[in-house]
Amino acid sequence: MSTTFTFGEMLSARSVIGSTLAELGESHENLWVLTPDIGATLVEFREKYPDRFIDVGLAEQACVGIAAGLAYDGNLPVVSGMLPFLSMRALEQIRTDVSYPNLPVKIIGTHGGLVGNGGSTHYAVEDLTLLGALTNMTVTSIGDPLMVGDILRQSMDMPGPIYIRLAAGKADAVLYQPGEHDIRIGKGIVARDGADVTLFTHGTTVLQALNAADVLADEGHSVRVIDMFTIKPIDAELVLRCASETDGRFVVLEDHLAYGGLATRIADVLADNGTALNAFERLGIPQVYAGFGDDEELREKHGYGPSATLAALRRAVAK
Amino acid sequence: MGEHTPAAAERPSVAELEERAYELREKLLHLCGTYEGAVHIGGDLSAADVLTALFQYGMHVDPSDLRNPERDRFVLSKGHAAVCMYIAMSIRGFFDFDGIVDTYGKLDSAYGMHPCKVQLPGVEASTGSLGHGLPLAVGMALSARGRGEAHRVFTLLGDGETGEGSVWEAAMAARSNRLGNLVAVIDRNRQLMTSFAEERVVFEPYPDKWAAFGWNVVQVDGHDMSALVGAIDGLPSSSSERPTVIIAETVKGKGVDFMEHNLAWHAGRLGAADLERAMASLAASRKERVA
Repeated sequence: MSTTFTFGEMLSARSVIGSTLAELGESHENLWVLTPDIGATLVEFREKYPDRFIDVGLAEQACVGIAAGLAYDGNLPVVSGMLPFLSMRALEQIRTDVSYPNLPVKIIGTHGGLVGNGGSTHYAVEDLTLLGALTNMTVTSIGDPLMVGDILRQSMDMPGPIYIRLAAGKADAVLYQPGEHDIRIGKGIVARDGADVTLFTHGTTVLQALNAADVLADEGHSVRVIDMFTIKPIDAELVLRCASETDGRFVVLEDHLAYGGLATRIADVLADNGTALNAFERLGIPQVYAGFGDDEELREKHGYGPSATLAALRRAVAK
Repeated sequence: MGEHTPAAAERPSVAELEERAYELREKLLHLCGTYEGAVHIGGDLSAADVLTALFQYGMHVDPSDLRNPERDRFVLSKGHAAVCMYIAMSIRGFFDFDGIVDTYGKLDSAYGMHPCKVQLPGVEASTGSLGHGLPLAVGMALSARGRGEAHRVFTLLGDGETGEGSVWEAAMAARSNRLGNLVAVIDRNRQLMTSFAEERVVFEPYPDKWAAFGWNVVQVDGHDMSALVGAIDGLPSSSSERPTVIIAETVKGKGVDFMEHNLAWHAGRLGAADLERAMASLAASRKERVA
């Protein structure tokens, strides 16, 4: 890639989706893009490949079912939309029509977590639990806008389905220079190395985690930040390695219900392997319907914003 | 007829199709009488003539060449009629009936209450949860169009199943995308599991609903083989722009007097005595038809 990006520079993940799909449509003649009336990011694909673009209107269930029908016939369908509706209204279609026959349908969308100020109808905060429960389903949550392109490209070769969660996707901070990390579905990224505590996170809170690590560094503590963008299958080897290499101290931060997402998956790995920790702090959305407010305000209010993250890290390193 | 339907000379006559539908019902009852669990016999019997017409006459399929890209596709949206489909396919030569009846519902069998493509590659899609088949068929029809192929995609729905909203989402998508290569057949037996359809849910004016969604609507007696053959022969070209729905008026439990119009026979099992009664009733109904 000729363009260079600087850490923290804002870029739209949506535009990356649009340009990547348009690029992939050329190399993959069986790539189709479907949407339930969320097509703004897909204009480039639609214009280049109008015969492989389907907007079904407000009909998430049929959108996923049609994608499955296309996949049954050897195609690679991408369903793009707003995740609160795809992951819930069409959940049974995702389970029965896509996951059960293990079809290569890619479900990608925006509004993962408390983003967009749409209120609780428009937040996908249960999606990682729901999609993570499905056999054959790979579940990812992407924070870096450029990574979206990497993940979509990799997903072309996957035999089964994948769920790709973004936050609002309008203006996302670039976290990694292209080529800086070996980004592979199923493997966590060591975004910052450290030895005192591991801070696991994914998606939109990776930047918050990196900033918190900087603050702790100033206080003399070395925080390892893991961008665990693949929630399922979880990189268990990395979890266990972090447990031994960062003195059994974990903080998990996620823009999702605190129970049922990444923290739960990590806890499962630890329990299944009989690994005990010195500290396990879980930062995420409590059992509330969160209401209105911008992303930052909501995270602070519900106890997983920047100040809560610093407090959790300080508690962890003190143990 | 579509471009890929078998040549007229190779296709069975109406009388032969009626014999195969009878054979299908006999085998259904036999399985229902030997399997220890419940079989969706009522809805299997209502769909028996339609599935015979599709598998023995209407669809271009070749049991010895399952992956032929030009084959017609069939999605059993009404997944509860899996047994009827398995047996219809066995009569067409896809599977051995003994394999179905000997293993049905048992551990590691390919044959169970609802069809699974992973376990039984001869079927086109895994179905069972209602309201899913039409969207799948829309996707397959889109794919055929995208490849420039002229085969058709058929799907069989129960009328009760069309209470699911996803059916109407897909009906709208089919017309919007001008899928004249898509044919939905409705097994209009007017019974839900626990009620007669119009008692609890008003479906009428049923054909008008499909017409209002822009579909080409054909109504037939779903137990009149010559009418079913006529509906198939009269399908518009697969390159046309309106999807077709064949509303087949049927009777749940058709052919067995004590099952017809009887809510108790949505699903059930036949003991030895009932199997004998059912076979006798079936034979009598055939005699009546032949006479």
